[in-house]
Amino acid sequence: MTRRLLLTLIALALGWPPAAGAQEPIKIGAPISMSPPGSVAQGKEVRDGLTLAQEILHKRGGVLGRKIEILYEDTQGIPEKGRAAVEKLITRDKVVAITGEHASSVTLADIEVAHRYNIPLVNTNAWSDAVRLKGYPQVFNRSNYNSRVAEAMGEVIAKMKVKHVVAFAENTDYGTGQAEAMKKVLARVAPDVKFTARVLDRAARDFTPAVLPLKAERPDMIVTIMIPPASYLLMNQLYENGIAPSKDTWLYDGAGVADYPDFWDNVKDAGVGLLSFGLYHPKMNLTPLGKEVRNLYIDQHKREPNRLIFQAADSLFLLADAITRAKSTEADAVIKALRETRFEGTQGLITFEKEKGLYFQQWKDIPYITYQLTARGQQLPETLLIQGPGVELSVDKLMRPAR
Amino acid sequence: MRRIALSPADHRLAFAVLGVVALIPLGVRSEYWLGVLITGLYFAMLAQSWNLLAGIAGLFSMAPAAFAMVGAYTTGLLHHHLQIGPGVGVPAGAVVAAAVGFGLGRITLRLRGAYLALTTLAFSEILRLVIANSIEWTRGDLGLSVPGILGGAKVPILYLFLGVLAAYQALLLLLLRSRVGLFLLAIRDDEVGAVARGVDLVRYKTLAFTLSAAGCGVAGALFVHFLQLASPELGLILQTGLVISMVVIGGMGTATGPLVGALLVEVAAEALREVGVRHLLVFSALVILVGRFFREGLMGLLARLAPGARLVARPASDAERLA
Amino acid sequence: MLIVEIVFTGLLMGSFYALMALGLTLVFGILKIVNFAHGEFFMIGAYAYTLLVVWAGLPQVPAMLSAVALGALAGVLMERLLMRPLYTGVIGPGALRDEYAIIVTFGLSLFLINLSHQVLGPYPVKGPDLVAVSRMELFGMFVSPHRLLASGLAVLTLALIVWLIRTTVWGKRVQAVAQNRFGAAIAGIDHARVSALVLALSGGIVALSGALLSPLFHAYPDVGAFPAVKSFVVVVLGGMGSIPGSILGGLLLGVLENFGAIYISYEYRDTFGFIILMLVLLLRPQGLFGERAREV
Repeated sequence: MTRRLLLTLIALALGWPPAAGAQEPIKIGAPISMSPPGSVAQGKEVRDGLTLAQEILHKRGGVLGRKIEILYEDTQGIPEKGRAAVEKLITRDKVVAITGEHASSVTLADIEVAHRYNIPLVNTNAWSDAVRLKGYPQVFNRSNYNSRVAEAMGEVIAKMKVKHVVAFAENTDYGTGQAEAMKKVLARVAPDVKFTARVLDRAARDFTPAVLPLKAERPDMIVTIMIPPASYLLMNQLYENGIAPSKDTWLYDGAGVADYPDFWDNVKDAGVGLLSFGLYHPKMNLTPLGKEVRNLYIDQHKREPNRLIFQAADSLFLLADAITRAKSTEADAVIKALRETRFEGTQGLITFEKEKGLYFQQWKDIPYITYQLTARGQQLPETLLIQGPGVELSVDKLMRPAR
Repeated sequence: MRRIALSPADHRLAFAVLGVVALIPLGVRSEYWLGVLITGLYFAMLAQSWNLLAGIAGLFSMAPAAFAMVGAYTTGLLHHHLQIGPGVGVPAGAVVAAAVGFGLGRITLRLRGAYLALTTLAFSEILRLVIANSIEWTRGDLGLSVPGILGGAKVPILYLFLGVLAAYQALLLLLLRSRVGLFLLAIRDDEVGAVARGVDLVRYKTLAFTLSAAGCGVAGALFVHFLQLASPELGLILQTGLVISMVVIGGMGTATGPLVGALLVEVAAEALREVGVRHLLVFSALVILVGRFFREGLMGLLARLAPGARLVARPASDAERLA
Repeated sequence: MLIVEIVFTGLLMGSFYALMALGLTLVFGILKIVNFAHGEFFMIGAYAYTLLVVWAGLPQVPAMLSAVALGALAGVLMERLLMRPLYTGVIGPGALRDEYAIIVTFGLSLFLINLSHQVLGPYPVKGPDLVAVSRMELFGMFVSPHRLLASGLAVLTLALIVWLIRTTVWGKRVQAVAQNRFGAAIAGIDHARVSALVLALSGGIVALSGALLSPLFHAYPDVGAFPAVKSFVVVVLGGMGSIPGSILGGLLLGVLENFGAIYISYEYRDTFGFIILMLVLLLRPQGLFGERAREV
């Protein structure tokens, strides 16, 4: 063990070029959060999704006849750690592409490195619009984006005719970005709504001082723009203090956390009545590939997959598709192939916009839904669908908590 | 009590270590390991700065990482708000850190030991929390994007870091070989006695604080231009813990110890990561063992193993020269 | 109405601060050192309680008692292995003594954090609530029953410790050593045994606070950072080493932080404690309630 380590170290120190034999696996780097303050839950879902896609690709004989090797690195959800992880993956492990990242702030640091070394990067779940606005040709977005969430939620809020909305956004590019986007959208679609956003530290545990003033303000709706564990803690404390969900105040989640496997373990009564934006629901259409992913996941994990599984699986499929079409793992060829993508992913036909700006290299038409949790422990298939495929938005169905 | 610090052999050894580091890029071409080495040099700079304060003057500060963060954010904010580049930003980082260090040194003059440690810890956490929560100004936890230097090429950056470190080391050598070095040691070992003999306490304590902060500031400013990202992570107490570990393992109060400690810990950390062991677990255990059983760290060990190297300065000579 | 709730929730939090800080105060009184590994005893308590219930399926009360016992044991071990040189005269006087104490306790803190990280992983585990209901109504306001009960237990523990120190023989010995080490030695009090007792007490109390707060703050390797810094502030505020001072200091900090967060700035709320700490150390080192000036 020690000897092997020593030899590896010497080899690496000398910058030994890896022999590019046909049997060498194709290396893909996956920076994800495996420890706090990053979202460990998201990191795990992404990892499960990538592994699943890897399995499916191997069953089909690999890519260009080669196996795929995914190298995971822990970013802790911290930009600096993400930067170091991507730098290591590229310079030391010589990966041909990066994917899997699920935190906006970290992605913004990652793409700088990918851009500098000219390595393709498929963004799995970084919602911040800023990632697109950078306009880097190496970056392709399978991920959902903040403006789309803001539009979707703005429409619901306008229909619900609430007057006073308070948003709690986490202190990341995702959180502040989505709050900003919502403010813009609401000013347009519901100009009467009084909207204020407050930034909370995602590493904090006790939100009591942020929650207490709401007792005097009594807003009609609270929007949460936070990722677990902070979002679970906030929901619990809103409930414990009798603020939301309550007969006076709706609770609306903009981060899509209600379908996480650990949601009910952590949130319990505080989740009943929660209104949620979502990117996957069993009633949504899946492609044959999507059904394969879903069935395999249910086989292995005995529960309905969440959206991150599909996003992560698609990220790897997109890279495999581009490498196959490029017949090479060489960066420029893969990037060129990615730009020309027309790939039937798990949730529909994926293409990337070419025009610079908000939609640059983005899969624009990401399907979404809105639903409400009406009972404790409710799983996705039983939730109340407010809007989605084949369901026109109707807010009259919404259940109001008794107190 | 034996003391290794400031013996001529110790200083020579310190420069020899820097000389060896200068040869490494001739053999190592891996971008990754060069990056590790640059990080090691950053920590060596912090370690050396902290050693001046804690190891030599006996002022146990918990703020080296905070001063590095001050340097980093000076250049980062100058670039973010005013588009001023590293040519001005890095020296400005050193100056601002020095000024903050001067201020902190002044207000904590009366404090020693645990009281000083707690005050500097509180100070460094306040700074970090303010930077991390002033989102409009600093982008908070997200950090500031800063431009690279020397085209991002690792070898020139490494020599730049090494040059700055050597210059700082030379400055310390001049300082410590002068009467000032003896005054600082006198303050550490017997504050009351030193004052009785006419050592200007206010002056030398603030000098140590200022110089130490300047060293941390320049290191932090340079380092973020290498990383191309300034974030509040730089100021975590954990980072201070790493610096303290490096100095304690290498040998507190010596010229070579902090350098060797920093480079060794940083490179060993990468090697340990390979076998799946958390490097801080090993180093913190070493810190406890060194603190408990042999106070002078690796340098003390070396002095014991190689008495011929004359690493130990005779205590008598210190006393004679002070008198 | 809001003011009442701010004071009330502040006092709840303050009772936890007082509990966390009491152990640090006791150790400072006897050894005249700040234990930088104090927060890691909190972590030990939080993990012990949580894992004993979640993994081993123990009921809450025995799990909590085991957590206290484990914290006390860790305290005794720390005294045996690391604190002995402080009063056996091995490491010399003054500055070196301070330096030694900071290095070994800080090293121990890093070691325990990384040990738990290596063994248990970085994932936060939520501690089980003492009460199954997640909220109840009290004089027209909603509160968490767990917080209320935990705070009650904290106050009871504080009262018990104060009573023990005031009335029992061992408590009097602790007081004697805290007041005058040499005088106590002349009177035949064994410093080592008193120190071991105090570190055990300190470890046990802070482990209890870790167990009580684990449903709120969870158990994870770094969880000790927060109780450690709050304890530092409380001990400084209350006058280093003063037991009533640190209890008052804890309650005061809880209320002050709540007011500050709501009326001054939510973003900067964690800096208030540190600002208080610096101001007190610089301007009034004997603390707000300290009865006499101590060596600084």
